[in-house]
Amino acid sequence: MHRVSGIAKRFGSNVVLHDVSFTVLPGEVLGLIGPNGSGKTTLFECLAGMLPMDAGHADLPPFFYMPDGIRPWDGQQVGWVLKFFEGLHGAPAGRASELADTLKLRPFESTQVGSLSKGELKRLLLAMALLTPHPLLLLDEPFDGLDFRQTREVMTLLRSVAAQGRTLFLSIHQLTDAARICDRVILLSGGHVVGEGPPAQWPDGLEAAFLALT
Amino acid sequence: MRSPSAWLVVKEFRELFRSRAYWLLLLMMGPLAGNSFISAVNLYAEASGVGGGPAALSQGLSPLDGILVPFFGAYDIAVTLLFPFVVIRLVAAEKENGALKLMLQGPASLGSILSAKLFVLVAGWTLAWTPGWLGLLLWKAYGGSIYAPELLNLLLGHFLRVLLSTGVAVAAAALAVNASSAAIVTLGFTVGTWVLDFVAPGRVSYTPTAALRTFEQGQLRLSMVLVQLTIAGACLALAAVWLPPGRTTKARTWGTAGVLLAASLLVLLGTQARPAWDLSENRRNSFAPAAEAALRQIRAPLHVTVYLAQEDPRLMDLDRGFLSKLERVLPTVEIRNAAQSRSGLFESPGDHYGEVWYEMAGRKTMSRSTIEPVLAEMLCQLAGVPVPVNSEDTPFAGHPLPVRPVGAAWLFQAIWPGAVALAWWLHFRIGR
Repeated sequence: MHRVSGIAKRFGSNVVLHDVSFTVLPGEVLGLIGPNGSGKTTLFECLAGMLPMDAGHADLPPFFYMPDGIRPWDGQQVGWVLKFFEGLHGAPAGRASELADTLKLRPFESTQVGSLSKGELKRLLLAMALLTPHPLLLLDEPFDGLDFRQTREVMTLLRSVAAQGRTLFLSIHQLTDAARICDRVILLSGGHVVGEGPPAQWPDGLEAAFLALT
Repeated sequence: MRSPSAWLVVKEFRELFRSRAYWLLLLMMGPLAGNSFISAVNLYAEASGVGGGPAALSQGLSPLDGILVPFFGAYDIAVTLLFPFVVIRLVAAEKENGALKLMLQGPASLGSILSAKLFVLVAGWTLAWTPGWLGLLLWKAYGGSIYAPELLNLLLGHFLRVLLSTGVAVAAAALAVNASSAAIVTLGFTVGTWVLDFVAPGRVSYTPTAALRTFEQGQLRLSMVLVQLTIAGACLALAAVWLPPGRTTKARTWGTAGVLLAASLLVLLGTQARPAWDLSENRRNSFAPAAEAALRQIRAPLHVTVYLAQEDPRLMDLDRGFLSKLERVLPTVEIRNAAQSRSGLFESPGDHYGEVWYEMAGRKTMSRSTIEPVLAEMLCQLAGVPVPVNSEDTPFAGHPLPVRPVGAAWLFQAIWPGAVALAWWLHFRIGR
């Protein structure tokens, strides 16, 4: 079991995270849910060292963080970016090609990253994250921009990844998605952890809990 | 199987060749270098008496001054005004599109990431020198002379210049929020060094322009090399402090202070390095062999007090014609400028303006001369060593070459831009 304790972050006088603490269990799919502006992305950025945290400690295994809203190497072709990430991270040969098939990126291999739609880009970023060897993945809004069918397919893929022993920590704003894929969720509101546990622990469902707690 | 570093280099090359700024640089280098080359060869030919005109003194016809310096001057312009945009794009784009966040989590260290960028930028710059290499081949084909030590020394000067320019642009891209701000910071640095050259022209200045001028004169000064390398290295270290997005302001402030302190100390030490070599073919930075042999017998420390304003042309004559040569021959030379004002116009006669005092082993003498043989003889008398006799050494004969730059206009202004445009079209067509 890994523990994150006492994370605090402020921007000037605006306190974004207050003493955020939670646990991460190996091999689980952990969801981070909360309303807009609750500090989900800030928490991920602090954990990944992209933002300096004011206080707190994270005892986590080596992890890779895939941010939301980035468009890396936008002048390069999708196929090459996948190949580059496969080579850079020492992934088994052919893994990039396999993921391109699974995530239906094959038709876009010759397309520049800068020309991808939001959903296509999201699938590319997911493929890149899955090419890394880290035992823990932090994915910021992995279903954002995907349609219903794509969301179901990506969930199946992520479930299979977790079944192979990798831990997934997902920031999700769609509660139905979170309830469907997560083993446990952390409910963040106003920078505070206001709830933590399996989605089933709230008898009226996550939506009711969300409305009651945030 | 490639190593992470090899993947980084491949990625940086791909990014470089996706950059329109780089293709524009390649395209412009042909006409820019070509124009310099054609003008230089034409002037050299006229000075050599082409078309029946009067030839200049052949001693003055050195390919270093006549061809290499003006020809390569095009690269000084490009490295100052064009290349920084290529550098900034290669660093700032990854900051802006989020790729840097992914790279910093990968197996390659920040040092490897920056080293790969530096390597590819220098390689890209070397490719942009193709018109330069072609110009040298043309010059040789015309029957022109090239003195290898002079050429290599000048190329070293340009290499240090591009390292410095790259370092400054990388640091600016790391510090600034976006590429346009980084461009402003870089241009601000360049203009700042120009202002410094103008308002405070020292005896030995370490601004990029002044440093390159030393190499253009055929001098290789260890201090110049060390200072340029230190500043370029400090800029890259600053980039390493500022690039990771998770650093606190305090950590960045301490890191910056540490880099600046270390760089200042190293620059201070570098400026103390005495070794210097005259690599010019005509030994313009050296005494005549007889005078040099006589002066080398002097072991006592020499103190020179100069009463000349920085912008007084006599100071430049004295420095180039005597003092800088003296520094390479005598074991200890201490030079102090005691002029009270920046301009000598309002100095009163009592202020000794125009005098240069030489003091050695308790003996002093004064001279207003800037002529090398006069001063060398005076110094030998002051030191009590035998005065050099005029030798029968053969003077530098020069290399007159009365030929026009045949084919150069076609090569630089048509073939090269055409080849670059074709390569660009093929690259983007294949890459689409």
